[in-house]
Order: sequence, then structure tokens, then C-alpha cells
Amino acid sequence: MERVFDFRAQQSASRRGTALLVLLFAALTAVVGGAIGGAVAIAFTYRRDEIRIDEYEPSTAIVLGLLACGVIIAIAWMRFASFGGEGTRVARTLGGEEIHETTTDLDEKRYFNIVEEMAIASAMPRPAAFVMRGEDGINAFAAGSDPERAAVAVTRGALTRLSREELTGVVAHEFSHIANRDSRLNMRLMGMVFGLMALWVAGRTMLQAFRFTGRRSGGRSRGNGGKAIAIVMIVAVTLAVFGFLGMMAGRLLQSAVSRRREYLADATAVQLTRDPVGLSAALKRIGSESHGSRVVNAHAVEARHMYFANASGSISSFGGVLATHPPLIRRITALDPQFDPATDPIWLGMAPRHEDKADAGAEPPQETEPTAGPPRETTASAGPWG
Amino acid sequence: MEIWIIVGIVAVLAVVFVVIYNRLVRLRNGYRNAFSQIDVQMKRRHDLIPNLVETVKGYAKHERETLEAVIAARNQAEKIREKLAGAVGDAHTMAQLGQAEGMLGSVLGRLFALSEAYPDLKANENFQQLQEELTSTENRVAYARQAYNDAAMTFNNVAQTIPSNIVAGLAGFKSAGMVEFEDREAIVEAPKVSFG
Repeated sequence: MERVFDFRAQQSASRRGTALLVLLFAALTAVVGGAIGGAVAIAFTYRRDEIRIDEYEPSTAIVLGLLACGVIIAIAWMRFASFGGEGTRVARTLGGEEIHETTTDLDEKRYFNIVEEMAIASAMPRPAAFVMRGEDGINAFAAGSDPERAAVAVTRGALTRLSREELTGVVAHEFSHIANRDSRLNMRLMGMVFGLMALWVAGRTMLQAFRFTGRRSGGRSRGNGGKAIAIVMIVAVTLAVFGFLGMMAGRLLQSAVSRRREYLADATAVQLTRDPVGLSAALKRIGSESHGSRVVNAHAVEARHMYFANASGSISSFGGVLATHPPLIRRITALDPQFDPATDPIWLGMAPRHEDKADAGAEPPQETEPTAGPPRETTASAGPWG
Repeated sequence: MEIWIIVGIVAVLAVVFVVIYNRLVRLRNGYRNAFSQIDVQMKRRHDLIPNLVETVKGYAKHERETLEAVIAARNQAEKIREKLAGAVGDAHTMAQLGQAEGMLGSVLGRLFALSEAYPDLKANENFQQLQEELTSTENRVAYARQAYNDAAMTFNNVAQTIPSNIVAGLAGFKSAGMVEFEDREAIVEAPKVSFG
């Protein structure tokens, strides 16, 4: 069987896709800022119950538009700075416990060794290794804004249910997120979405306050007071409408960036291991179980973009546009073009699973191993040559 | 006037030379650093083997021949490793080392295959741990080798293409050898130890 996976082509395609989406994000900010600036400048032409478009000053609009963009970026930056870049803190928040070289648990030792191996393959410092002991699904994540402060974490389910090659694929995927600085990109985009959301919240709050004062004064005021209220109302409506639209568009873009980065991380993982089989087998195993990658930790929803695979265990109801991860089948097909969900033994849950060694003795001998595709269960010498 | 043109050309050439030279040095440091990782991991592998042999000896006394072959292959590989420490990137010694490591891999494979016949040995926790350590170390050697070969290839591409090959020739940069492990199939395939 010929392997047709070209990780370099995948990587450049993903990078181009991300660059385009980041540009769209910048354009979105400019449009929202410009719209707000223009609307406020028009509001300033209000005299005696009418808006005089002919007195509209483009320079005012430009200045106000830039101001609005500045406010969005400033809020985003403050939010981004508040996240901090410490991967170990994030890992602990999400229920991870750090493991060390001295661990006596054979599964954990194997995982620790794989992290060491990937550090060598990627020529990066070894990140702190965490295990989420309370999680039975197969999942993992990486956190930290740069390789020096990074952490990787896998669920207990991934440790006990994946073979060595499969776990290596998962860990390599997380290393790729660290190497590609995805965690930082994601935090920045989250900051931008938050900045746009702040405009919406500000506009909404102003509208609520206006309704309150409007009711008290009977809504029949004239002169300067009326003018001020009218201007404030236009500003508030503009902020609320464009802030809301901007926030929704920002979320769509953020999810699209996240999905792109997942493909990129899959491709980079293959560059590290030179073995697309392990990673695709891990993805197939997740697909073979109904809640294969579910994470039960309470913070998982906020951090859903960080995981190896969909953490919520449910499919997004908006036709996938808000999904943080591409569909499993697409990811698998990118790695294994011959993949066929109807016949693949791992996907159908028929391939023998790597069992916890503690119960291995009690297990009846496995049925005959399907010949097509399942990774070799070699534990003694699984070279990355595949 | 003409003198200034000549001076200008010479100055530009000097700057180009310095830039290329520095790039070559950076790339050479890159592959040398990558090589030191291979060396560290091979040392680790060689250090683990006496422990493994001791553990196996307790369970499989009749396999002296295989155990001796493992020790011999290990000592041979260690000798070449030490020799190479003084000549990083030397293609000939590199090839020798690849052969010796491949040899070691295949006798180790035989040893693990043989352990199948001794259930007590397979169940021994110490043996399982050593097996995991050796698996990991072998992967580390392979990944370090991969990182080295990538770095060496980048260096060679620069050192052998125009115009940087002129600088490499003048400054005496030699091409870096790749680490190819002979008998690779044997390393990957032989120790098919299953926990099923």
C-alpha cells in the first residue's frame, strides 16, 4: 500500500488558510470600527429633530472609527494579557496532575517517555507532562504561550486504551500546537472576540439606561437634553448592533482558524513521527466509541478549542460552523486517503484494543487480528519509521 | 572613479562572504548539536543493556549464546560511539556506527523474541520496565537521528549549492554524513512482543 500523505503540502495549505482568516479578522475589526465611527459622526449632525447628512464630516468619522478600533484592540490586549502564558496553570485548572520521571506506573512511564521522544524529534525543550486521571475518554491538550512554558496533558483513557504508536501520534499532535504557537494565536483571537463583545455589552447597557431615563422624563424632552439623548441612543444602537454582529462573525472566524490549526497540527505531527498510521488509528479509535473524546471536567467547555478532539461529545447544531475541530472522518481521510468508514476495523470497533496491562492476564486471548491496517502492538521496538 | 567601483565590488563581495560563512557555521552548529543528542541516547541505550542481560540471566539460563551476542554487539557499538565522539560528521565512522547499532538492534530483537518462551520473565516488573526503557531509548535514537539528518541535509544543501559552495570550499567546510542504520527492518520488526 502506498502512502500518499504529503505533510509539507498540508502544512503550507493550512498556513495560507490561517493567514487569510487572520486577515479577515483584521478586516472585521476595521469594518466594525468604521461603521461605529460613521454612525456616530452622522449622529453628531443631529439638529432639532433631524439628521443633516449634508453636514456630515468624513474626518470625524475616520477619527472616531480609529478610536473604536483602538478600543477593541486595547480590550483584546488586556484580556489576552490576563490569560498569562503558563501552561502548567492551565493544565491544573483542567484537572491535570503532573507526572515525573520517577513514576512507577508503567502506562504513565510510557507516556512520559513518549513526551521525551517528541521533545527530541522536535528539538524543543520537554514540556511538563500531565495526566487527567478522572477522564476516561480519549483526549489531550497542550497549553502555554511558548515552548519554554508549555505543558501537555492526556486523559487516563488515552493512556490505557491507545497503543504506543497511537499515543505517540496524539502527543506529537499536541507538540505541533506548541511548535506552531497555536495556543497563543487562539488566546489572541479569543481576546478580539471579547473586545467585540465588550462593544455589544456597552451598547446594550446604554440602551437599558436610556429606556429607564426616557420613561422617567416622559420621552417628550426638547432642546439640548433631547439632542444629547438622541445622540446617545444612536451611539448605543450602533454599538449594540455592530458589536453583536462583530462578535458573532468573530466567533465564526475563531472556530474556522481553530479547525485550520487542527489540520496543521495533524500534518506537523506526521512530520515529527514520520508515521501517519499511529495518529489516524488514534482518531479512528475515538470515532469507534460514541463518546470517544468526551471530557467531563467543568472547565472543558471554555477550553474546548484546546483539546485533541471534540471535548463535548456532541455535534454542533449550526452545521459545524462553530465547531472547533474538523469532523473526525475528514481528519482521518487527510492522513489515510484509503480510509473507508464502512470497512475500517478500528473505526468499527473491531480491532483489538490496547488493554491496561493490569487486566491483560485476565483477558481471554484476542480473536484473530484483522489483517487490514491495525497498528502493530509492538512494545519493544516501535521505530518512528513506520 | 574606477578605483571606487572596484572597492565597492570588493566590499559587497566581502559582506556576502561573511553572511554566507556565518550561515554555514550556524547550520554546522545545528547538526553538531543534533548529533550530541544521538550520542546521549546511544550511551543511554548501551548503559541499559547490562541491566537487561542480568535480569534475563536469572530466568533464562540456557540462552547464554544469545546473551553473549548481545553483550558483544553492545561493546562493539560502544567502542565506535566513543571513537566518533572525536569526529562528528565523519561519514565513514558514521556508517560504521550505523552498522554496529543495527547489529545491536537485531540481537536485541532476538533476545526479546526469546523472552516469549519464559512467562515468568515476561511477567517480571523489572523486565517490563527495562523493555519500555529500551523501546523508548531506541525511539529516541531514531528521532535524534531523524533530527540530525534533517539538520545535516539543510547544511549540505547550503554547502553544495551555488554560491555558498564557493564559500564552503574556501573556508574548508566538509559535507556532513547521514546516519543510516543498516538492517533497519530487523530493528523495527524483530521484537514483536505483544501484551495481548
